[in-house]
Amino acid sequence: MERTVSRGAILRALLKKELIAYSRDKLYLFLTLLTLVFVVAIFWIMPDSVDETITLAVSPPVETIIAEGIETFRAMGVPEEQLAELQETELSGEQEGVELVGFDDAAEMTAVIEGTLEAWRTDAGDLVLRDAAADDPRPEGARRVGVDIGIGFPRDFIAQVARGDRGVTVTVYSDAAVPPEIENAMTSFVREAAYQLAGRDLPVTMPDEETVVLGVDRAGDQVSYRDKLVPMLAFMILLMETFSMASLISVEVLQRTVTAVLVTPARIGDVLASKSIFGTGMALAQGVIVLGLVGAFTAENWWLLIVALLLGSMMFTGVAMIVGAAGKDFLGQLFYAMAFTVPLILPALSVLWPGSAALWVQVIPTFPVLDSLVNITLYDAGWDEVWRSFGFAAAWVAVLYGAGLFTLKRKVESL
Amino acid sequence: MTTPAIKVEGLHFSYGDIEAVKDVSFEVMPGEILGFLGPNGAGKSTTIKVLTGQMPPKSGRAEILGRETGRDDPEIQAQIGVCFEEKNLYLNMSALENLDFFASLYGIRNPDSLGILRRVGLADRAKDRVHSFSKGMRQRMMISRAFINEPKVLFLDEPTDGLDPTTAAQIRTTIKEEADRGAAILLTTHDMNEADQLSDRVAFINEGRIVALDTAENLKLKYGERSVKVRLRDGDGVREERIALDEPGSSARIAELAASPDLMTIHTEEATLEAIFIKLTGRGLE
Repeated sequence: MERTVSRGAILRALLKKELIAYSRDKLYLFLTLLTLVFVVAIFWIMPDSVDETITLAVSPPVETIIAEGIETFRAMGVPEEQLAELQETELSGEQEGVELVGFDDAAEMTAVIEGTLEAWRTDAGDLVLRDAAADDPRPEGARRVGVDIGIGFPRDFIAQVARGDRGVTVTVYSDAAVPPEIENAMTSFVREAAYQLAGRDLPVTMPDEETVVLGVDRAGDQVSYRDKLVPMLAFMILLMETFSMASLISVEVLQRTVTAVLVTPARIGDVLASKSIFGTGMALAQGVIVLGLVGAFTAENWWLLIVALLLGSMMFTGVAMIVGAAGKDFLGQLFYAMAFTVPLILPALSVLWPGSAALWVQVIPTFPVLDSLVNITLYDAGWDEVWRSFGFAAAWVAVLYGAGLFTLKRKVESL
Repeated sequence: MTTPAIKVEGLHFSYGDIEAVKDVSFEVMPGEILGFLGPNGAGKSTTIKVLTGQMPPKSGRAEILGRETGRDDPEIQAQIGVCFEEKNLYLNMSALENLDFFASLYGIRNPDSLGILRRVGLADRAKDRVHSFSKGMRQRMMISRAFINEPKVLFLDEPTDGLDPTTAAQIRTTIKEEADRGAAILLTTHDMNEADQLSDRVAFINEGRIVALDTAENLKLKYGERSVKVRLRDGDGVREERIALDEPGSSARIAELAASPDLMTIHTEEATLEAIFIKLTGRGLE
């Protein structure tokens, strides 16, 4: 009986078999469904707003500025009654949501805002600075003071204002995560402070303002933890799919069913193609489901997100092929899965913290995939902003996919 | 003249420095069962792997249905059926799903999977997943999978290994039916009785080399020792005497004992394939 079969028919048969095998693997089916439910639940549980309470650093301390101002006004012959009013000026409570922390040294203030120094407030109200990198002991009975923004006044600020000097500069130092609303409040605060310190309508022109942003400027781009989770959730689903796919491959290799397939008209290329298509398709479908459930798709970004997910799915399928071919048993597979996926997950964790990822994180293959997911979902990035990440991701996909196909082919041929 | 379904000439294969198959040559005609008899590690399975295209030969030539093996050739693969020694079935799929899947790889649109399962006595378990099958049932599944494409050439690697006598007999009957259909069958086994019962010809393979190849009858005639065993009463006990038929004067001695009033039984003795194998190779089949 002469019979011919097309490659397409073989591929369809293999894909159908993969689907049956996947649906019958209760453990991974359960884990996949659980992960889907879990990640979506986590998304909706996380807070969707940003805490905008700001601790404001001032250098020099307000008390110092006022004291120097009083001396200046006294020398100018201002009556003591008016100076007494100035002495009673309360600035800290007048701006809602603002806590003042005074620094004698402007350099120390910027170091605290940058995070290279820590500020601690003792029960007695004293401010203690700690160099965490130098492993200084933590002050006892003190609480950590997080400083997001600071204002640097000239030491003779009031004197300059009182003299009507032009070009008086007040420098606002801001952490990357400070919202623009707070920066606007700071502007008002500086105006108000100048007005109150002068004790009358400003006799001089408004001081120039200069804003120095420390770190990557995310002004206006503040993101809630819920939104930050979006790219990470998609990433976690892709990762979960790696385990499922690696398991399917591993079982096929360990039980040598692939050998039985290869003595039929099916070729090794058909087997590799079916694994690739199935793994990529499953990962992509689940990534799309998750992003759909958390409402990440928009009319503008949907195709960019699909491209990012496709690149991620192909990358993780490549990893799954390496892991599935390498493990000699369940424990071996688990070992290789962890060895490969733990480094790959690091870029996802960096999303949770503000600022740029370290250089060593950026060279991890999954970084460009995650970077594009972050920029598309959180910052509405378009093609112009993500094409470079896509390019790097595509290069890594070629490397990992190629390595996966090569490893699996060698493994199957050696059976 | 009929073309051999399997034709092997000077086949060599090595795993690194270890030569597993050395200068092996044989032919199997359509409808013929060739028993490959040898101990574990003799090179039987390696020969099958080379012939089924799983591994290329290091040297020599092998043809299946007139086409050279050792390369990806769907034309050959479409015409062969393989029963592996290891039970490499999809355990999470049902018996029917297993057969239907493999049928689809051969492009068979409406396979008679249930009919094949009926032949091996598994029709009532057709929809059960294979992981619930006993060892014997899995072996029958292996056989049925090898039959799914009605192959012209069958490679059966230890098809009855570890089975109970009833199941083994059932599988042997099925194998005979395939040969009667016209399939050429290469049967590897280390069970001399199976080789004796099933094979039209037997090849002894040892340390990768074929040391003898002929019908079981001819091998026994050529290498075996024909004899007669006689049991006689001896006082209160029993005495046995073995007479080699090829010895001079054996006929006279047999006639003398047959006439003795003390004669209890007299049996002809035939050499076993195992005895011949041991004689030829100096080792047993296990």
